[in-house]
Amino acid sequence: MKKEHFTLAFSNLKRRKLRSWLTILGIFIGIAAVVSLISLGDGLRTAIMGQFGSLSVDKLTIQNKGTGFGPPGSTVVEKLNDKDLKAIESVTGVKLAIPRMIRITGIEYNKILDFGYVVDLPSDSKGMDMVYSSFNAETEEGRLLKVGDRKKVLIGYDVANSKDFDKRINVGSKIKINGQDFEVIGIIKKSSSFQINIVYLIPKEDLEQVLGIKNEYDLIVAEVEDKDKIQEVSEAIKTELRNLRNLKEGEDDFTVETPLQTLASVNTILNIINIVIAGIAGISLVVGGIGIANTMYTSILERRKEIGIMKSIGAKNSDIAWIFLIESGLLGLVGGIIGALMGLSLAFLGAQLANHALGQSLFKVSISYGLVLGSIFFSFAIGTLSGVLPAIQASKTNVVDALRS
Amino acid sequence: MKSEYFKIAIKNLTKRRLRSWLTMLGIFISIATIFTLISLSLGLQGAVKAQFDLLGADKFFIMPKSMNLGGPGSGSGGFMLTEKDVETVEKTSGIKDSTYYVIGNTKTEFQGEIKYLQAVGIPPDKMKIFVETGSWKVRDGRFPKQGDKLVAFLGADFNKENVIFKKAANVGDKISINGKSFKVIGIAEPIGNPSDDSNILIPLEEFRIVTNISERIDMIMLQAQEGENVTEVSQKVEKELRRARGLTEKTQDFTISTPEELLKSIQNILGIITAFLAGIAGISLLVGAVGIANTMYTSVLERTREIGVMKAIGAKNSDIAWIFLIESGLLGLVGGIIGVVLGYGLSKTIEYIAVNQLNTTLLQVATPFYLIFGCLFFGFAVGAISGVLPAIQASKTKIVDALRYE
Repeated sequence: MKKEHFTLAFSNLKRRKLRSWLTILGIFIGIAAVVSLISLGDGLRTAIMGQFGSLSVDKLTIQNKGTGFGPPGSTVVEKLNDKDLKAIESVTGVKLAIPRMIRITGIEYNKILDFGYVVDLPSDSKGMDMVYSSFNAETEEGRLLKVGDRKKVLIGYDVANSKDFDKRINVGSKIKINGQDFEVIGIIKKSSSFQINIVYLIPKEDLEQVLGIKNEYDLIVAEVEDKDKIQEVSEAIKTELRNLRNLKEGEDDFTVETPLQTLASVNTILNIINIVIAGIAGISLVVGGIGIANTMYTSILERRKEIGIMKSIGAKNSDIAWIFLIESGLLGLVGGIIGALMGLSLAFLGAQLANHALGQSLFKVSISYGLVLGSIFFSFAIGTLSGVLPAIQASKTNVVDALRS
Repeated sequence: MKSEYFKIAIKNLTKRRLRSWLTMLGIFISIATIFTLISLSLGLQGAVKAQFDLLGADKFFIMPKSMNLGGPGSGSGGFMLTEKDVETVEKTSGIKDSTYYVIGNTKTEFQGEIKYLQAVGIPPDKMKIFVETGSWKVRDGRFPKQGDKLVAFLGADFNKENVIFKKAANVGDKISINGKSFKVIGIAEPIGNPSDDSNILIPLEEFRIVTNISERIDMIMLQAQEGENVTEVSQKVEKELRRARGLTEKTQDFTISTPEELLKSIQNILGIITAFLAGIAGISLLVGAVGIANTMYTSVLERTREIGVMKAIGAKNSDIAWIFLIESGLLGLVGGIIGVVLGYGLSKTIEYIAVNQLNTTLLQVATPFYLIFGCLFFGFAVGAISGVLPAIQASKTKIVDALRYE
């Protein structure tokens, strides 16, 4: 590859300006689409992942196996109980284990009934702190629940501002949870996690009393002493529960997961969606690549005479092939650069619009250098690949025929 | 428009065969993608509608409102439906028949293998509407009937190996549900969607024992009398049930839905997804259109001299424009035809995979006339529109310059 190859390729592209631009247009539309969709997809994933709260690396979630999708513990055959809790607490390496309950029940306010997620708050200060710290609880108004509070409820931001009750819920308001009166003690600051925003938090004893349940938990959260040993502790908990329930390995009717494992399946689904969408958008890149090949074939046809002359004054087959390859590669590269820039702007614009429409600021698009460079390289590769066949054809041009044409 | 226009256009296209093919390739890849997406989506919508049609237009359902937030039975507290509510609504005028069911979570064991599955408890004396609305048919054995003890009726997927359990279950086999042994009394014909085909139906009484669900009902299904307006009857039932439960419109803790409403919301969602995907696929069509424009501009340039000659011997500007427009329109049209054929093949392949690998007949190919002609017309329109600017440029060629052009 010599410098002249580039000079020649450049001047050829410039000579047919309109055609070069149209070819590039084809590529950059495709690249812009792929880049913007992937960026938005990533932004969406970040937004959804953010919903699961701050991922603490030192906590394990224990659940009984369920039959399907739904709030944690809602599809299990049997709920977790105090025996399970004791067994988990006894495992060495477990600092603290707390049972959690997440229940759907009727909430009445302003004489309107709606259904919501009622979640328990441990009644001891250690457990309470663990729950509060898991979502950096801060109140917008009022205060957090304290040890010893009874018949008081802490509500999420969206609950307070819900339109379902025709009236905002304020601190001091009375609401009925499954028919019993509770006083709203505080409203939690708007969180990036929607689960926190839609929750009604009440003391554990109150939840058990209101729903008439005892000793049945939806999940147990265990905090480990040393986060580097979380995997070992997880195995130890499994062994302990198997012993308790007389199960052999492989017969587990429960799961012990780190928060990251819990997210893995959500992540997989989001990834599949992203791939499908980017794949469909990628078809336009194939079409754009065909456009490059077409332009190159046309170019060869037009420049037969020129190729003949170059060959007759000593250009080798490889020289000719290089010139055409560089030309097509350049088309792809320029298309890729413009496309990546356009795609990013589109993604930012899309995220802005989405946030505006949803009245949230969850949706954030970040520039991924890997994606930008990758797509530019990809586009360059498509250009080069589309140019291979035309370049070979060009290099094989017969000098005599070419000069005669 | 004269027939010569077409002749000239076709001749030009065949003269530059490779280029014409490459240009069309771009169009037909796009059309094939769009065709496949829309065809499968329409098929899916049709299949869903067919399932709803089986429900019959005379039926409607009552569910606890908490089911909007979680699955069946996820609601806690005193907001559940019970058999007392069934009695209330049955007595409402305009109701012909009714049934109800409960869904519970079970630990099911078959041939030493354990799975966590949902089971459905049904009153055996009220099977008729349940069978009708679910389009259940018996393949082997029979439905549970009044007086049956410890029997289970299984969805078609249980009868297949390695779908739910490694081994296939047959009539007469024993299956353990929450620790109690049940005899398989019947196997259903495949319904077509995995969630129905993996159902376990158990007579309600035993269901309540093994699942420990004492009173709760998850769904009441009602059939209106012939000649009654379903919407009116459902409103009457809603009022009646509200009165019996001592609720007002604002404190209502159950929802009533007619199949029509359910169908509409499903179709809406499907429609949005399809439009989104087809829109993204449409981007490639845009790129294909740019390709056509490019080919046409090149063609105009190459044939500057020819245009000059045609004009010199009396061709009008409009004649020249027509020739180029027809050429680009033809590129789009032929691209569209190949695209539709290819798209049809592709969607049939996907349908085949869905039926054989995913065990679902929901993903079907639909090829309504308007889709085929829409795609063809769309291809043609894209071609023609991309050709407008090049055609105008061609028609404006100055004779003298053109003849001098080399």
